[in-house]
Amino acid sequence: MEEEKNTQSQENESEEIRVGVYVCHCGGNISDVVDTKAVVEALKKKPNVKIAKDFVFMCSDPGQKLIIDDIIENNINRIVVSACSPTLHETTFRKALTRAGLNPYLYEHVNIREQDSWVHKGENEAATAKAIRLTAAGVEKIARQDPLEPIVVNAEGHVVVIGGGVAGMRAALALFKRGLGVTLIEKGDRLGGRALELDKVYPTEEKATDIVSQLENAVRSEKLDVRLNCEIEMIEGFVGNFDVQIRDKDSKIDKVRAGAIVLATGFDHYQPYEGEFGYGKSPVVVTLPEFNKLIADMPQSDKFTYKGKEIKNLAFIHCVGSRQVEGVHQPQADGRVNEYCSRVCCTATLHTINKTLDKFPNLNIFDLYKDIRTYGHGHEDYYEKASKRGVTFFRYTDDSIPEYAPSPNGSGATLTMKDVLTWNEEVSIPADMIVLATGMVPREISNLVGMLKLPTGTDRFLQEVHPKLRPVELANNGIMIAGTCQGPMDITESCAAAGASAAKVSILLSKKTIEMDPYVARVDEAKCDGCKLCLAECEYKGALFMAENYAHVNPALCVGCGACVAVCPPRAINIAGWTLDQFDGMIDAISMEELEPAMVPA
Amino acid sequence: MSAATIQKKADVLVVGAGIAGLQASLDLADQGKQILLVESQPSIGGRMINLSKVFPTLDCASCITTPRMASVAHHPSIDLLTYTEVNKIERVNGKFHARITKKPRYLDETACIGCKRCEEACTTYLPDEYDHSLGAKKAISIAFTNAIPQYPVLDMDECLLCGACAKACPTQCINFMQEPQEIEAEAGAVIMATGYNLTEISAKKQYGGDKYPNVISPLQMERLLAPHGPYGGVMRPSDGKIPDSIAFVQCAGSRDKSLGVPYCSRVCCMYAIKQAMLLSGSLPIADITIYYMDIRAFGKGYEQFYQNAKAMGIQFVKAKVGRISEDENHNPILRVERQEDCSQPEDVTHDLVMLSLGMVPAWIPDRDGIIPLEIGEDRFVRSVNEKVTPSLTSMEGVFAAGTMTGPKDIVDTIVEAGAAATEAANYLRRQEGR
Repeated sequence: MEEEKNTQSQENESEEIRVGVYVCHCGGNISDVVDTKAVVEALKKKPNVKIAKDFVFMCSDPGQKLIIDDIIENNINRIVVSACSPTLHETTFRKALTRAGLNPYLYEHVNIREQDSWVHKGENEAATAKAIRLTAAGVEKIARQDPLEPIVVNAEGHVVVIGGGVAGMRAALALFKRGLGVTLIEKGDRLGGRALELDKVYPTEEKATDIVSQLENAVRSEKLDVRLNCEIEMIEGFVGNFDVQIRDKDSKIDKVRAGAIVLATGFDHYQPYEGEFGYGKSPVVVTLPEFNKLIADMPQSDKFTYKGKEIKNLAFIHCVGSRQVEGVHQPQADGRVNEYCSRVCCTATLHTINKTLDKFPNLNIFDLYKDIRTYGHGHEDYYEKASKRGVTFFRYTDDSIPEYAPSPNGSGATLTMKDVLTWNEEVSIPADMIVLATGMVPREISNLVGMLKLPTGTDRFLQEVHPKLRPVELANNGIMIAGTCQGPMDITESCAAAGASAAKVSILLSKKTIEMDPYVARVDEAKCDGCKLCLAECEYKGALFMAENYAHVNPALCVGCGACVAVCPPRAINIAGWTLDQFDGMIDAISMEELEPAMVPA
Repeated sequence: MSAATIQKKADVLVVGAGIAGLQASLDLADQGKQILLVESQPSIGGRMINLSKVFPTLDCASCITTPRMASVAHHPSIDLLTYTEVNKIERVNGKFHARITKKPRYLDETACIGCKRCEEACTTYLPDEYDHSLGAKKAISIAFTNAIPQYPVLDMDECLLCGACAKACPTQCINFMQEPQEIEAEAGAVIMATGYNLTEISAKKQYGGDKYPNVISPLQMERLLAPHGPYGGVMRPSDGKIPDSIAFVQCAGSRDKSLGVPYCSRVCCMYAIKQAMLLSGSLPIADITIYYMDIRAFGKGYEQFYQNAKAMGIQFVKAKVGRISEDENHNPILRVERQEDCSQPEDVTHDLVMLSLGMVPAWIPDRDGIIPLEIGEDRFVRSVNEKVTPSLTSMEGVFAAGTMTGPKDIVDTIVEAGAAATEAANYLRRQEGR
């Protein structure tokens, strides 16, 4: 977006196709397996290829300079880079073309890393042969490519933030202060989300309700458009122009138009299944959030009484619903176990333990853990303090998960496990009460996931495009994520994520227009016979329609899926940048027979 | 005679061009803000460009860093100063005034074409800090292959003044008499992204990290594993032997009050696991052991990464390493007290040992001056609203990004840099409205 536009079309029908091929070593990621020099030599012999080179890191500045210099000095007018996945660096190289004054769509990115060197370790010759075929196909494709121009759409300077928890409020406020219109939608009857359940928070020991009030007051005083008791009925449209239908508690529908959407839908607490460490069967087994609620208003005392009985021994079990192992733990509803760590529960548990001892100094506390993960600022202090206050720590492994057995008199339980800290001694821990440190699971948002086709990971949380390159963006253009809808985080981390997504939205909407890739369907009106077969295949409302007896495309709504192309009898529809002619050329190149003898795998 | 002081003006002054400073600069510049980005090293890229691959995706660090470096270098709204120190930043009437010194590279940057002929001609070899002294560089050299900018620096302290570089230079750009260039800058806001240092390898005397050649630091291990590392493969420093048995000693610089670093450095478990995985890829028959206290794989996808490492056969041993010695062949001997199986302390010999050092702030206001920001007990710059606005420092208009407020991995650093950019942009807007 930062590049000045400089795409003068020097191309014309008669211009000679001059392809430059650049093969990246990716450090050794590619060149340890693929003989990049051999690829270069083989490609030099292909028609239309005027220059072929290899380089250690094509994406680096010196690498990009090779391309720019060849465009300017050697009149190269089509570029193929064989390197990593295009999701990583296609944009990087397109920008380089723009800087050199070439249309950025005269570029083809061939993946010889994920699709070749990484999956063919130890088969160097075959991998090299494959790289040659893939690169040759890239050459054939780009040789048949005409310059393209991005699709430009207007961008609405308004953002819909879904979820009124800490992350949602934080993002909404930041965006409002940037001068954008904001609608904040909350399903519940007040702002604050999960933070409202908390008492004091680590490590600052602020009251969570103070944090919520601080944010809520700011939201109120800035006069943001806040919709409580509201849910999303429907979202249609595309980046820059989303139509969001909001349903209130009386089922009345209101429509808001938004340039971007921030999802801050948060998390749910993992709910133990009945019988998991006695949960649901014994009244003295509770989850950490339940326990926190329980003791929040209890006064300080020599005795801790619960359900009319004095609790002397209190046990905490970590990793309930997190760090699960297939074959050991009972799978979740979708058949998968929760392999992930919930990040906050170790510190939250030790924070609670210290708070409990402040109130009930005479309690015996046992802490059953796998690893203590007090990683953040000030977290370790809670661990140290708990140790010094006489909390007994036991370390269990997946081979010896604590076994729960109710006491014969029904009032307590015994936990039996092998303790790693005492060289696998079998220990029986008497517990009058058991607290389960339950982890996080994503909020139930399957309606949104289905409606917007949002990507989720195997952990069921929303999946960012790339954890380092685009950590708060979804593959869906114009939709950002903030907070625990992405994965477990504490308040600090959720707020940082909200700030980062506000930056991305601000960048997107800082100009009045948005440019989108032109890879959409195009109809050759001379060939179209108006049979309408394509209309039945198109899943995107308004993208394809009939007028004047032939099919028309609304480029802003078309996603370039190609369903229409596949059913068109006279081959009248093509996806720009992915035409049938280009596919023919690529297939011919991939299936070519004349490889260098040395390159043919034995 | 030094040249006249140069005056510069920007919306935001960003100090430090590691991954945090790069990201914050891009996130602001893409919103149309004018950025002055100042880096003290010869190249931008920070610590990250030094790494081999990064967890949990195992992308090569260069693949993630170099495009951002290139974007910053070519951005029309970013004014980049490398090999340049910020001496002082003061807030006057709501504006920031910075005194900056561009250190001499001893060449004319406007004439240099980055051809490296000077480097080839130079006859003086020095330890290469980019390779953490495992390799060598010339007294005049470009920092590393994909450095930005591609200008060399001449080390005047070590230069013999033989003139070979000047003779070799096709553009006659070498200038042995070059003086520092003073710069004064005015900016509406400041983002500090000064990063971290590793804890000293010599700090824990019992481990002898400064005495034994085959006891190395994590960044040295990164270089051994990097595709363009100093030895072109994993070999141990003392004799070039390919190690058969490699050990990682966790918390060798963190969670240790005797070192003054009681906190957890957050990244060491994961970088050790990552290095172990990369080692087992390049040395499939080597025994790899990680001695640890707790494995803290808390980020997204990290636990799964840890489980994969276990499945690959990497040994995780809960144990405390009491001390390290070495035998006559420089094989490190670890005195280990296991917390599993058997409590009897034992001596275990390995070929190569990596000490998982922790993170300390690279810049400490009380010690290093520049700008008086409040720090915490851990000596990292303190956030004044840690829960809600972690990038807020004690001085209005100054924001923090990345590891200068505490240990952080790359993902958390990048996210926080974005948040700092948002805060800076909103602060500027508030100022304009006043």
